[in-house]
Amino acid sequence: MKLELGYIQIKDIVFGNESKISNGVLTVDKAPIEALAKEDERIKSVTLDIAKPGESVRITPVKDVIEPRCKVEGDCDIFPGTIGSVKMAGFGKTHVCKGMAVVTAGKIVGFQEGIIDMQGPGADYTPFSKLLNLVCVFEPVDGLKQHDYEEAVRFAGFKIAKYIGELSKDVKPDTTETFEVCNFKENMEKFKGLPRVGYVHMLQSQGLLHDTYVYGVDAKKILPTLMYPTEVFDGAIVSGNCVSACDKNPTYVHMNNPVVVDLFKQHGKTINFCAHIITNENVYLADKQRSSNFTAKLCEMLALDAVIITEEGFGNPDADLIMNCTKIEKKGIKTVLVTDEYAGRDGGSQSLADADPLGNACVTAGNANEVIVLPKLDKVIGTLDYVNKIAGGNENSMRADGTIEIEIQAITGATSEVGFGKLTATY
Amino acid sequence: MKYIIITNNPLVRDTYKDKEVEFYDIKYQEILQTVKNKIALGHKILTHPLSGSVKPKETPYKSIMISKETVGANATEVDLESLEIIEDAIATCEKFKERSDKWTPQVLKDFQLVDFTLIDSAIDSAKV
Repeated sequence: MKLELGYIQIKDIVFGNESKISNGVLTVDKAPIEALAKEDERIKSVTLDIAKPGESVRITPVKDVIEPRCKVEGDCDIFPGTIGSVKMAGFGKTHVCKGMAVVTAGKIVGFQEGIIDMQGPGADYTPFSKLLNLVCVFEPVDGLKQHDYEEAVRFAGFKIAKYIGELSKDVKPDTTETFEVCNFKENMEKFKGLPRVGYVHMLQSQGLLHDTYVYGVDAKKILPTLMYPTEVFDGAIVSGNCVSACDKNPTYVHMNNPVVVDLFKQHGKTINFCAHIITNENVYLADKQRSSNFTAKLCEMLALDAVIITEEGFGNPDADLIMNCTKIEKKGIKTVLVTDEYAGRDGGSQSLADADPLGNACVTAGNANEVIVLPKLDKVIGTLDYVNKIAGGNENSMRADGTIEIEIQAITGATSEVGFGKLTATY
Repeated sequence: MKYIIITNNPLVRDTYKDKEVEFYDIKYQEILQTVKNKIALGHKILTHPLSGSVKPKETPYKSIMISKETVGANATEVDLESLEIIEDAIATCEKFKERSDKWTPQVLKDFQLVDFTLIDSAIDSAKV
């Protein structure tokens, strides 16, 4: 079974009277997008803006970042089970609007939504500063509860991304890439002799405003299960997570999961990438034990030699990370953990809330407590009302001269725990 | 499973009038200490103390679910796993700088809501 991704490089975005993609330029007619957003009576208004790499623009508070995609072949939909039909995704042909994103913003809770700077030192910390961003700032109707506001913005974001994606349907892709998956029997025969490697993909699922959805199902309610790794490319996993800007996985990151992409690159060469296992990070301890038991069992049943485990979030998910690691290691399967750190502003404190000697192969995505000073930028899309209040900010964050002193945990995607960033270390 | 919620969150107290809630008007880290004292009496911890992506001391609110029953017959036994979890959480909490007393009323309400939603998701699980 194959999925072909056709990449259409978007070189510019402009507003106009007719939505279209022509010669790499996306023209956006605001009216149909406003109408899509207002299909949900919980949304009072949406303000559209464009932010381009290098501009003196700050976007905040960011809720989600989404890549526009469109199915052109295959009996399935983009964002299956969420706004598309619940048919299995991950095969056929999908067009991808590369180099751009739909960014959703809104003051859902008075803290925690992130910052994307398009210029300056903050821009270096977020992968989304390199994209042409169509920013949608949503205003809720009066008196709307936060979780309803979150849900309304989540769905509106997907609908707008799908609308933009569909403009690419008849455009010839600049480049294509094919990902091939096969069933277990074929897999065992075809790649005999190569180490069997799996990916244990932990999804944020602690409660309202900390959620992830799989084919529309709240990940809190799943038992660990298996996916074809191509399914994420069609938006099978989406973010409903409003908190922890630096290390949450926006939908864009799920759709471009770099662990999946890199494992595919080695598949059939140095490894046999034969399992994408998803699991959750619930707050109830018995749920953690059940899920980590099932994850370890799946790894054992699949006779894996090694797994990569990625987490999402900090604190409570560290406990799931370590449970997954120790239980899988005790089955005789090697693990590599990918996480970020909360090691204090000086980097000297213990990085994770939990640890175990079996977790002895670990990749860090950076210290979220690291402090940075962001310069004053000319334009703000959204509002700065919350900069003193978002995670990583404090009462002195907004300085009189307009600069912001803040921990990098406030920057969207700064310490992505699937490695969707550019932070590196040399020594 | 029968449980008790230990909390300093007024929203949890006011919403769960039909549930067994012990409300204390104390700081975040004092809630962790209160839970540790309960564990010493034989209660088991049922939710992870560092739930939520809002960091310790950033939010002033914390709600933790413990078992109503104690391990052992005469409350002299301690669940070592629970003890380890709460001690690790207290150690982690000490790394964070105190800043939770500087919030506006609206932000405090939002913090209450986030803590409430976390414990609410555990109540669903505890029904199993």
